[in-house]
Amino acid sequence: MNNLTELANKLLGDGTATKVIGYEEAHGKTRPCFCTEAADTGRLVLDERCTNNIAVYLTKPEIVGGHKVAVTATLPVLRTMVQLAMENQLPDGTTAIVSTESGEGLAVLPTVGDMERVVAGTPLDISGKERELRERLKAMSREERWQFWLGEMSRCIKCYACRAACPLCYCTRCIVDNNCPQWIQPWASPLASMEWQISRVMHMAGRCVACGACKQACPMGIPIHLLTLSLAEDIQNEFGVAPGSVMDHGNVLSTFKPGDKEDFIR
Amino acid sequence: MSKIGVFICHCGENIGATVDCAKVAEAAASMEGVAFATDYKYMCSDPGQTLIKNAIREHRLDGVVVGACSPRMHEPTFRKACAEAGLNPYLCEIANLREHCSWVHPKGDDTTEKAIEIVHGLVEKVRRNSPLTPIHVPITKKALVIGGGIAGIQAALDIANCGHKVILVEKEPSIGGHMSQLSETFPTLDCSQCILTPRMVEVAQHPNITLYTYAELDSLSGFIGNFEAKIRLKAKSIDESLCTGCGLCTTKCPQKKIPSEFNAGLGRRTAIYVPFPQAVPNKPVIDKEHCTHYRTGKCGVCEKVCPTHAIRFGQEDRIINEQVGAVVVTTGFNVLGTDFFPEYGYGRYADVITGLQFERLASASGPTLGEIRRPSDGKVPEKVVFIACCGSRDPAKGIPYCSKICCMYTAKHAMLYQHKVHGGESYVFYMDIRAGGKNYEEFVRRAIEEDHVNYVRGRVARIYEKEGKLIVKGVDTLLGATPVEIEADMVVLATAGVSNQGSEELAQKLHISYDPYKFFAEAHPKLRPVETNTAGIFVAGACQAPKDIPETVATASGAAAKVAALFSQPDLVREPLVAVVNRSAPPVFSTCVGCFMCQTACPYQAIEREEIKDRSGKVIKVVAKVNPGLCQGCGTCVAFCRSKSIDLQGFSNQQMFAEVEALLETTN
Repeated sequence: MNNLTELANKLLGDGTATKVIGYEEAHGKTRPCFCTEAADTGRLVLDERCTNNIAVYLTKPEIVGGHKVAVTATLPVLRTMVQLAMENQLPDGTTAIVSTESGEGLAVLPTVGDMERVVAGTPLDISGKERELRERLKAMSREERWQFWLGEMSRCIKCYACRAACPLCYCTRCIVDNNCPQWIQPWASPLASMEWQISRVMHMAGRCVACGACKQACPMGIPIHLLTLSLAEDIQNEFGVAPGSVMDHGNVLSTFKPGDKEDFIR
Repeated sequence: MSKIGVFICHCGENIGATVDCAKVAEAAASMEGVAFATDYKYMCSDPGQTLIKNAIREHRLDGVVVGACSPRMHEPTFRKACAEAGLNPYLCEIANLREHCSWVHPKGDDTTEKAIEIVHGLVEKVRRNSPLTPIHVPITKKALVIGGGIAGIQAALDIANCGHKVILVEKEPSIGGHMSQLSETFPTLDCSQCILTPRMVEVAQHPNITLYTYAELDSLSGFIGNFEAKIRLKAKSIDESLCTGCGLCTTKCPQKKIPSEFNAGLGRRTAIYVPFPQAVPNKPVIDKEHCTHYRTGKCGVCEKVCPTHAIRFGQEDRIINEQVGAVVVTTGFNVLGTDFFPEYGYGRYADVITGLQFERLASASGPTLGEIRRPSDGKVPEKVVFIACCGSRDPAKGIPYCSKICCMYTAKHAMLYQHKVHGGESYVFYMDIRAGGKNYEEFVRRAIEEDHVNYVRGRVARIYEKEGKLIVKGVDTLLGATPVEIEADMVVLATAGVSNQGSEELAQKLHISYDPYKFFAEAHPKLRPVETNTAGIFVAGACQAPKDIPETVATASGAAAKVAALFSQPDLVREPLVAVVNRSAPPVFSTCVGCFMCQTACPYQAIEREEIKDRSGKVIKVVAKVNPGLCQGCGTCVAFCRSKSIDLQGFSNQQMFAEVEALLETTN
C-alpha cells in the first residue's frame, strides 16, 4: 500500500472526506478516478503524468452532491480550487491532497487559506515551447494573426470540449445554449467559432489559471489556450495580477483600485 | 402578433424639413407587427397627443413608437399620453429622429432611409417590451446638513421648522462659520454677530435639530431617501454632560500661545479652548496637537481645576450611524493667505494682512476689541491701502474667477477704517467695482463720496518695507497709467475666495461632482442651482462658489425647500428600469451560478445574496438578488454576468439584440 492510498483511506476513514477524486493509471497514462471506499483507493496515483484538471468535477452536482470531497491536486488543480473558492464555487469542506515540495511526501490542505499559501508561493511558469509559440504569434502583424486564427478556427467542429474540460466554465446555462437572443451563431464556421472563442476568452479574463485543459481537450489540436494565456498576460501587465494569484476581493475587471492605470482615457 | 402604432413627428421644420416624414410613416406601416402608422406636424402638442390616444383606443395598440426628438425631451410626455389611453407607459418608445438624424444630416433620401431604420429598430424593440410598474421606495424623513456656517444654520432651521428632523454636523468646536468672524456686514453695516448668534442659539435649542460639533462625515452610502451616514465625533476630551462651560480650564491652561483660528491668526488661544465667547455649544475642547498632556503625558492642569471633573483625556473618537433621507452640503469656503503673493511680501510683512484678518481687527470681539491697530507694533495706522482682486481674476495665479464678495467688503473695510480712525487716509486699488446687488452700488458710492476713500483704478505691482513703512507701488490707469507710490502703515489684501480644505475628499465621499477649483458643482447652473447630480444631495452657500451672505442664505433656504419637497411625499416613486436576476422553475431556480462577480462590479452596492431554500429550510442554492431601491439601472452587472442571468428591465438583452439586428438588417 503506497502513501497516497494510506492517506486517502485515512481521510475516508475519519470522515474528512466521503469521496476522493484523483487519478488512476490506464493504458500507460492517467485518467480521473473517484473513490468512495477503501477498496478503490489502491488505484490512486499522483505523479507528473497527471495532467487532467480534475477540479472540473468540483462544480458537478452529480459528482460532489452530498459528498465531502478530497482532491489529489497538482499545482494547476490547486490554483483552480483557489479560484473556485473565490467565486463561491468550491463545495464546503473540500480538502486537497498535494505532494510536498520535495516530491517525496504528501500533505493535506484542509482550508482554502492553506491552498492559497501554497499557490502564492509558486508563481506561474509558462514552459519554453508555449512561450515560443506565443512569441511567434506576438511577432505577427494584426492581419497575419487574424488570418492565423481564422485558419485555426476553420478546423473547429464546435464540439465544446474546451468548455467541458475547463474547470472554470461551470455556468448552469452557457450563453451559447441561449437562443433568446442567439448571442453566438450555433454552427461551426471560422467566424462562428471565433465568436465562441472570443466570448470564452473574455469570460476567462482575470480568472484563467492557465492549466491548459482546453488545449488538451481539443480534438482538433487547436492551441486555444494561447488566447487565454495572452489575455492573462495582458491582465498581468495592465493590472499587476498574475494568473492564478489570489485577489482579496472580486475579479480584476470588476473592481477598481486607485492605482489602476487610466491611460486608456484620453 | 403585435399591434404597434408608429407616430412620426415633423417637429415643425426640425425633422420635417430634412426627413420625408410621410414616407417614414408609410414604410413603418408595412413593418412586421405595425398596425397603424401616421405622421403629424407637432406630435407633442395637445392634438398630437390626442391623435396617439385615439389610435391606441381605436386600433387596440399594444405598443407605441414615437419618432420625434430625443427621449430626454419628451419621453415622459408621450409615456404619460399612452398611460392616459390605458397603455402601460413602458410600452411606448421614442425613436430619436431629431438629434440622431435630421439635425445631423442634410436633406435627402439617405436621411429618410436612416429615419426608417431607426424606427424599425425601435419597432423590433417594442415588440419585445413588457409592461412595467414603477417602484415605490420609502423615505427616511430626516436630513443631514454638513457644515454649520450661516448656510448650514439657515438650511437646518428651515428644514426643522417644516417639522422634519435634522442632523447638523460641524467640524469645528462651534457652529457659526466665517460669518461669526466678520465685524459689520455690507450694505447695512449691522453687526454680524448680533444677527448670527441668535440663530446659532436657535439651532442649539431647536427640538428637531441634533447638533454634532467637532464632527465630520466619515462615509455616506445608500441613495435618495435612504442614505446611511457614518459620522465621526472627534474626541473633545471632555464629558459634555458634566461640563458647565464655566471656562476655568481655559484660563488655567499653560499653553497660551497657539494662534487662534477664530482670530485668523491675529490672536492667541489655549490648548483647551472655546473658539469665541459666543460659541455654540459653549463648551471647550482640547486641541490634542498642542496640549502638553497629549504631547508629553505631563500637565493635566485642566483636569485638576475642573470643578465638575469633566476632563476625559482617554476619550476616543466615536463613529455613529445615522439614517437620513437627504443631505445638504454647506461646507463653505476659505480665503488665500498673504503668503500666496510673492509680490506682496510672501507673508513676511506683519502689516500686510488679509481681508478676513481686517474683519477681526475691526470686530468688537477681536484681538484689539475693535480698534484698528496694526499687528506689528499695535500702532493705529494713519494710511491704509486696500488691494482688491488679490489672486482673483488672475489666470496666471490659477484663479480666473471673480471672488465676488471682495469689492463690497473692501468698500466696507475702508469705510469702517474711516469711521474708526478720524483723519486716517485710505486707498483702494481695484480692477473694476462689481457692486451688483440691492443697495450695493449706493454703498460703494457712500464710501467714496461721504467717507472720502480714495479709489485708484489700477494694480499694485509690488510692496516692500522701508523704514517702518510699507511702500506700495502701483499705477493709476485712469490717469494714463501714472505710477503711484504710497507710503502705507498697513495693507489689506482682498485675497481670493477658494474652496475649503478637504472639499475634494468630501465630494468623493458623497459622489457629487466638483469643478476644477474644487467647488461643488450644481446639477444645472441656472435651473437646478442647489441640487447636485446625485439625487437627494443638495448644496448651498459658498461651497459652490464665493457668495455673500444674502445669496448664501437664499441658496440655503432653497436647498431646504428642496428637502422639504422631497419629504412631503409619502414615498419615492422610481422608474422600474432596474436590473433583475432571472428565476426559473426547479431544479434550476435561476441560471445565476452565484459567483457574485456582479457584487463587486456594482457601483451602488445594490446586489445582495439570496438563499433559495427547500421546504425544510435547507439552502439549495445561493443566487444574486438586485435591490430595486438601490439599483440605478446602469447595466454594469448585466455586462459582467457571464451566463447572462441578469437583465435590465426595459433594456433587456433580447430587446437590445432585436433592435441592433433590425438596424443591421435594413442596411443590407
